[in-house]
Amino acid sequence: MSDAVDTSGAAADGFEPRITAFVCNWCTYTGADLAGTSRLHMASNVRIIRLPCTGRIDPLFIVKSFERGADGVIVSGCHPADCHYTSGNYHARRRFAVFHDLMEFVGVDPRRMTFSWVSASEGAKWRDVVDEAVANVRALGPFEAYRALAPEDAGVAAPAGARVEAEAS
Amino acid sequence: MSEVREVARKLLTDGTVRVIVGWEDARRGARPVFVTDPADTERLIFDTRCVHNLVTYLNPRRDNVAELGKIGLVVKGCDAKAVAGLLREAQLTRDDVVLIGVRCGGVLEEAELPKAASLSPENVAPRCYGCDNREPELVDHLLGESQPEPPRPVMTIDERVAALDAQPLEERWAFWTEQFSKCVRCYACRQVCPLCVCERCVAEKSRPQWIEAPPHPRGNLSWNITRALHLAGRCVDCGECERFCPVGIPLSLVNRKLQHIVAERYGYTVSDDPESPAPIGDYRLDDKQEFIK
Amino acid sequence: MTDATRETYFISDDDLRALAGDLLSAGTEVIAPVAVDVCASPSAIASSACLRPGVAPVDIEYRALADAAELDLSRGLPVLSLKQYFLPGHEALCCWRQHGTEVEIEAVPTTFAPRVVLAAKSCDSAALAIVDKVMNWDYQDELWNGRREATTIVNLACPVVDESCFCTAVGTAPDDVKGADALLTPVEGGYLMEATTDKGRVLMEAHGARFKAETDTHGAKHRGRQAAEERAAARARVAANLEIDAESVREWIDAHFEDPLLAALGVRCNGCGACSSVCPTCHCFDIVDEEEGIGKGTRRRCWDTCQAPTFTLHASGHNPRDDQHSRYRQRINHKFAIYPLKFGEVLCTGCGRCTRACHAGQDLVEILQAIDIAARRPDAAAAAVAGAEPAGS
Repeated sequence: MSDAVDTSGAAADGFEPRITAFVCNWCTYTGADLAGTSRLHMASNVRIIRLPCTGRIDPLFIVKSFERGADGVIVSGCHPADCHYTSGNYHARRRFAVFHDLMEFVGVDPRRMTFSWVSASEGAKWRDVVDEAVANVRALGPFEAYRALAPEDAGVAAPAGARVEAEAS
Repeated sequence: MSEVREVARKLLTDGTVRVIVGWEDARRGARPVFVTDPADTERLIFDTRCVHNLVTYLNPRRDNVAELGKIGLVVKGCDAKAVAGLLREAQLTRDDVVLIGVRCGGVLEEAELPKAASLSPENVAPRCYGCDNREPELVDHLLGESQPEPPRPVMTIDERVAALDAQPLEERWAFWTEQFSKCVRCYACRQVCPLCVCERCVAEKSRPQWIEAPPHPRGNLSWNITRALHLAGRCVDCGECERFCPVGIPLSLVNRKLQHIVAERYGYTVSDDPESPAPIGDYRLDDKQEFIK
Repeated sequence: MTDATRETYFISDDDLRALAGDLLSAGTEVIAPVAVDVCASPSAIASSACLRPGVAPVDIEYRALADAAELDLSRGLPVLSLKQYFLPGHEALCCWRQHGTEVEIEAVPTTFAPRVVLAAKSCDSAALAIVDKVMNWDYQDELWNGRREATTIVNLACPVVDESCFCTAVGTAPDDVKGADALLTPVEGGYLMEATTDKGRVLMEAHGARFKAETDTHGAKHRGRQAAEERAAARARVAANLEIDAESVREWIDAHFEDPLLAALGVRCNGCGACSSVCPTCHCFDIVDEEEGIGKGTRRRCWDTCQAPTFTLHASGHNPRDDQHSRYRQRINHKFAIYPLKFGEVLCTGCGRCTRACHAGQDLVEILQAIDIAARRPDAAAAAVAGAEPAGS
């Protein structure tokens, strides 16, 4: 699947997706490290945040990422039966299944949210996951719909209806 | 209803409970009442205006109710599911409460009416249609006659959820962001929920500020997604969140969608059996994972 | 409030709408009641009320008019009060930007473009005048004052909404002009309008062509009588809902902090704070810092409520109002004793929104009645107390 992905750099319109990846310490983070030490070529749009376990990843992390300007999110951890803490990923699987379906109901394109199992030995799979997530989000474009929810006066110091110089009424 | 009054009087007189929580007829319609004197049991009513889920008064956050002493609580079937929820999550022990169950044929959408009305497709609380627990089992007394099934509302909640599901993503996004943007963050939905049991809600955590406090559309979406998710597989569909919402956000549609999700994925339906484990916090090795690469 | 020397003018229904249109085309923001079709597509699915045949539910809301035709003069009660246009649900207080160790603060402007509120409820305008006092007591709230100064408010005499209205019991009235600059009273074919402040007069003079002076003619006398009758009838209607002696209530509350009537009000209260969200006089706010990326953000204030446990939670973990009884008592105490003691006015205008918004049945009319009886007729108190606190306790 990675063959079809354009990882050559900026798109024609200059849009570069920003993607946050929440990964578990034991499998995916090590897998991503392997991808790096193996010098695998992949898209550079992903910022990795390492957590102890997928069970530690609150769906609010994803909501927060979108709030703070992410165009897409990746959640990745140990394969079923491989969890360092025995069952963290099983609990996460249920939680994210429900979250995934709820977000789709609320109108978030599920292609902005990638969930995967990547083990410590799967550097190549991590590259594929990243490239596919980046390609998906690149095709969807920036998540302007979420950014449009920001308060109008955020960071601009001008409340609605205000003006610096009052005219005589 | 004389049976409820009789049982309540007996429980208060013989000291089994110190307070009966039921419904009374007040200036603006039916409302919760807390009866401590056997003579006042005459005030108790049960009719189609008794919409409130009184189990919210068993919530561990309600220490000012608990201090009245042991509670005898009048419950409909849907309310009994909330008691089961509290038992399931160890927020209550069965001996803490005497449950007076009433056989229910559905309730009205509104409690604030001068008189009870018979149910029709126009006035029935939509959640009552298809109710699977009109004669609760988790009770100490089951009173009243068997009631006919509630009428089918003009459009059922399931049909409304399906209508939303049928729309394209952008339309659903437009719909929900518009609905949530009305939110004034009074947190009535949380306060009235019998199953919102956290001593300190994540919405009130400020280091870090997980959920933005001001009622702008961005913070409102975050709050409403979180509220819904935290009730996945726990919500008993009593509809109190929606009824209390001062700005009319259709929370029952989100709640129902989550019920569909846990039913489809995990075959789980919320019941008044406190022994059945809730789906979130439980797992199976072969849970569906088609959305995971 | 009644001033015999006030000059009265007639404005026809069409001219009133045209006046709104004139203001809009001059670029002035006009806030007025608008009947919002809550079932307008695509939101129809939102409310089961929308699915009933033959019913078209509408909410009345104060909105900035996009078009004069939106102006709704049916005189229903807007869901939220005018408060939101003076103390918005949230607003920026300042923005910050970090440059290394330096922090640059950008203040928000505190002057506002002139705007007009048309057809406000007297309970809503009076609330602004009452809250003015706390907003200018110690710290001068520039944002509040800026919006107050920029706004001309025209009230529309209210016919009284329902059994939860009690404005006359707390010192205002359905046709009061407290906090407003002019008053409209409906009469045959239009409205009588009288300005009660300079701002109101300026507005009327600027649009003089829309008004006719009520000279000493037969028609004018008839309209004057009609308006007076309508206003008197509305006052009588609301007075029938509740009559209390605010002074006795204040004294009683002040002296009976631990009285069971006052100390056990919170049993059915869910502590949701919907009452303070819809209240025109509740003005407490919280201040939060919201980061917008790294090293910059907005300091923002937003509505808060004394009904939430975190409102009074100390950093130590101690909470002086740690149960709902004490929080509900605080609401009553602040409105009917603390505020009048400090500012000479009850912090309530009797709009009844808190009672209507409470689906747990907390009923301010009933509670005030019980306190009033306890204060003025202690012997009769026992009978009335029953409704306001757990029976038999």
